[in-house]
Amino acid sequence: MADRNINKLNKLTAGMFLVVLMLCMVGLVAVYSASSNVDQGFFQRAIGRQVMWMILGAITASIIFVIKGELLFDISYWIYGAGLVLIMLPYISPLSAGTHRWISIGGFNYQPSEIMKIILVLTLAKYFTTTKISKSDFKVLFIPLILTLIPTAIVLNQPDLGTAMIYLLSLFPIMFWAKVDFVNIFILVAPVVSFLSAFNFYTFFIWLIIVVSVLYLKKIKLWHFILIIIINLSLGSVSPLLWNKLEPYQQKRILTLFDVNSDPQGAGYQVIQSQVAIGSGGFSGKGLGQGKQTHLKFLPEQKTDFIFSVIGEEWGFIGVTFVLLLYFLMVYLSIKSAYRSNNQFNTLVIIGLIGVLFFHVVINIAMTVGLMPVTGLPLPFLSYGGSFLTSCFIIVGLIFNMNRKTDRI
Amino acid sequence: MSFFSYSVTKTIKNVSLFIVGLVFVILLYRFYQIQIQQHNKYSGIAEDNRIRMVTLEAPRGIIYDRIGDILVDNKFQYNVFIIPFEVDSINKCYQKLGEVLGLDKEIIEERVKKNWRGRFKPALVAKGVNMQVLSRIEEHKLEFPGVIYKLDPYRSYPSGVNLTHVLGYLREINSSALKRLKKYGYNYGDLIGWEGVERQYESILRGEKGYKYVQVNAKGRILGDLESKENIQPQPGNDLYLTINRELQDTCERILADTSKGAIIVIDPDNGQILSAVSKPDYSPEIFSGIINQEVWDSLSNDPDRPLFNRLTSAEYPPASTFKMMAAMGALENNIVDSAWSVNCPGYYKLGRRTFKCWKEWGHGRVAMEKSIEQSCDVYYYRLIRKMDLDLWAETVRKFGFGEPTQIDLTSENSGNIPDKNYMNSVYGKNGWTEGYKLNIVIGQGEVLVTPIQMAKFISALATRGKLIHPHVGLKYFDTEKFRTFTTEKDSIESFTPQTWDIIEESLYEVVNDPAGTANLANVRGVKVYGKTGTAQNPHGENHAWFIGYADNGQKKVAVTVFLENGGSGGHDAAPVAGKILKYYLKNIWTDNKTSGQNNG
Repeated sequence: MADRNINKLNKLTAGMFLVVLMLCMVGLVAVYSASSNVDQGFFQRAIGRQVMWMILGAITASIIFVIKGELLFDISYWIYGAGLVLIMLPYISPLSAGTHRWISIGGFNYQPSEIMKIILVLTLAKYFTTTKISKSDFKVLFIPLILTLIPTAIVLNQPDLGTAMIYLLSLFPIMFWAKVDFVNIFILVAPVVSFLSAFNFYTFFIWLIIVVSVLYLKKIKLWHFILIIIINLSLGSVSPLLWNKLEPYQQKRILTLFDVNSDPQGAGYQVIQSQVAIGSGGFSGKGLGQGKQTHLKFLPEQKTDFIFSVIGEEWGFIGVTFVLLLYFLMVYLSIKSAYRSNNQFNTLVIIGLIGVLFFHVVINIAMTVGLMPVTGLPLPFLSYGGSFLTSCFIIVGLIFNMNRKTDRI
Repeated sequence: MSFFSYSVTKTIKNVSLFIVGLVFVILLYRFYQIQIQQHNKYSGIAEDNRIRMVTLEAPRGIIYDRIGDILVDNKFQYNVFIIPFEVDSINKCYQKLGEVLGLDKEIIEERVKKNWRGRFKPALVAKGVNMQVLSRIEEHKLEFPGVIYKLDPYRSYPSGVNLTHVLGYLREINSSALKRLKKYGYNYGDLIGWEGVERQYESILRGEKGYKYVQVNAKGRILGDLESKENIQPQPGNDLYLTINRELQDTCERILADTSKGAIIVIDPDNGQILSAVSKPDYSPEIFSGIINQEVWDSLSNDPDRPLFNRLTSAEYPPASTFKMMAAMGALENNIVDSAWSVNCPGYYKLGRRTFKCWKEWGHGRVAMEKSIEQSCDVYYYRLIRKMDLDLWAETVRKFGFGEPTQIDLTSENSGNIPDKNYMNSVYGKNGWTEGYKLNIVIGQGEVLVTPIQMAKFISALATRGKLIHPHVGLKYFDTEKFRTFTTEKDSIESFTPQTWDIIEESLYEVVNDPAGTANLANVRGVKVYGKTGTAQNPHGENHAWFIGYADNGQKKVAVTVFLENGGSGGHDAAPVAGKILKYYLKNIWTDNKTSGQNNG
């Protein structure tokens, strides 16, 4: 049994390595194409810098790979505290581009909220590993919720909606794999939905029926039942009041968060150009370096957030399918290795980290085709830029590390 | 460690894989839609074409008077813009466009920089261009791609009244305001209410910009709207109704000659609604509606009579004899004297080696309280304040809201100054001021400073026996489906006894109606008029004249404040102005059925 697992895990690691390598190649080609008409020395160009970042990333990943897993487990609460301090740092450094996202170290701008994505996963994984989760007890869920909400609130204030979303979302796969009862997760999320659905009486009413039926089917304690219903009802009844107290501009800002077609700072323009680029790529694409929308620079942010539009235009549906397949494989292999592992901490870390990558992929790609609002989340291994690329490599290093741990058992 | 004995169920793994797979399939399907099904549509757009996003400016809310006459309206004009992203050669484009517009290349460059909103968005370079220029732009279109023009709203003032300092004006937002207001969606080149009502009610009046997406070919030809994206229509701002009565305003503006300096406020003393507000000299707000001519601006800002200065809320002058009631009320309320207490006025009062004169050289003879107000006898108040503590006097004055802003809904309001012992000590030192200073203060001279709007609040309180109104010009606004009326705080002076009010009322009546009173010229036949004059001594030139008063037709009251900077004397110059206004009011508003307009709010 153990031998079979080792074999499989080695295969999984190897497969994952290949997938990441191919994604990096795809990324380099796309970045090269998106910036090919710049006449500068190799390392001054985006492509050169990206290669440099990848080499640095690979080295970082290797270092991460050899760290002892127990050490990560032991220090995760400490680095959580350090991480909170880190994401507060941009507030004391001067504003850059009107936000508090960046700190500057030795000429490089770094976004500390990036590394917090990883730290949060380690912290939550440790919490769920060391805490006994019983089926009926949803009280223990409040601590991880708080652990997640603190950094979420901080980055939301920076303001960085995208990263806040990632923090919040990463909690769910970890809870699910920590065998937190579905109903408990439901109870946790229900007040949020109640709060949001109450803007329309009918949606709120239907939602309440759902809540009541789920709780009824699960046969939870009567006083729990009543308490939960009261919480949901009261949140539902406050939200319209709170809403009406807001200034119209505040209401509008909240609405734009949920509306893909709204137009904060001309983001609608970017999405349209992105869709035109992708749509005009057709089945087989216009060919490498042939993307008109790309090369006439109609497409904004083409190296970074909208890199996938370049692939869509130049490589067509075939290329898109290929890259999506690579991403699916990346997630698939990670889930497999998480499943194979018999160490809960390792499993949860893998799941949390691959969750982070998965949410980036989905939110970014959905944005390029107008399925989600523009939040400024980059695409793993493809988007140009050092901060995030480093995080991606650290994540891969950690996933390999967690696999290796199990290898030895 | 216990957590080594852990295994995940197959269900968890499979559910996870299923969700992940489903999400990827949905994404892939979306690409199938765009790249395969809608490929033709998009490839048509993509060839050499680009999409241009054009902002559609929203008209601001219209400003009406209380009856519904338009005070500020919108007109439309052609503005020219440059989309930086679409310009192929900046030099050539600016040069050519400059020739067409009759502007220097540098000016265009500067305006593009100033109105920059992003590479893809149009930056404003010229406003209100005429048809001739437009047709030349159209002619030369191919020579400067990236230049566009569109129809945008601007402010117009069809009513014939100036109402300058109440309405205020719009200006392009500056960088410090932009920093503050970016979160409300403001951007470079946006117009924002800079003064007056336009500023105060900016959030109500301001509309919401719309967007239009058009397809443009490489040569700058517009191929039509983009089908896949709906245009976002601009939302006009909310219409605002002021408490001003346009016809009354017109009358008041005409009563004060254009050359005079001063302020008139006509107010409903029961609710603080300002029916007319004039600050002279003024100017037509029209001059700010287009591009401001530098010469016009310079002549306004360098004019020694300061037409840009809002005298309604900013002018701080001594209230002079209008303040004599303060000592009278303070003395009555604190039982220092009663209304029968009298003094003999020989025309002067000696304090130590100094002689303080009464305005009436040969004296008033024996004077009690009512006569002291009616004939404005100085000696009576010299003697009265000797019996009173300065702080007691200041306390009475502050009850009426002096020394602090009235919180009127207009910009740049000053507080005035009410000297008390603390103030005098801090200015002159603890022993640096003597009883003599008090004598000056009690007749409203020297350190005492008030604004016309504070005086309007004061006379309203006298007219209503203590109601402290919150003067305001905003009445209501129309918010998409219904009118919303502005509510104002109400307060009142509760402590004064009815006897005090009786004496004040009687005295103010005598001022206007007794042949010996100082304000006979404010008298209007057919209605009871009350009031008080004031003449502030001005060592630098002509005296400043005050009249505050109100008329009572038995059911309704209206209060008038007249201030004339270097305007002569209260009785001779300010009182007749009020008389004319009240006469008009009686004839045209109280006898007309237009009173309906007075009832709301």
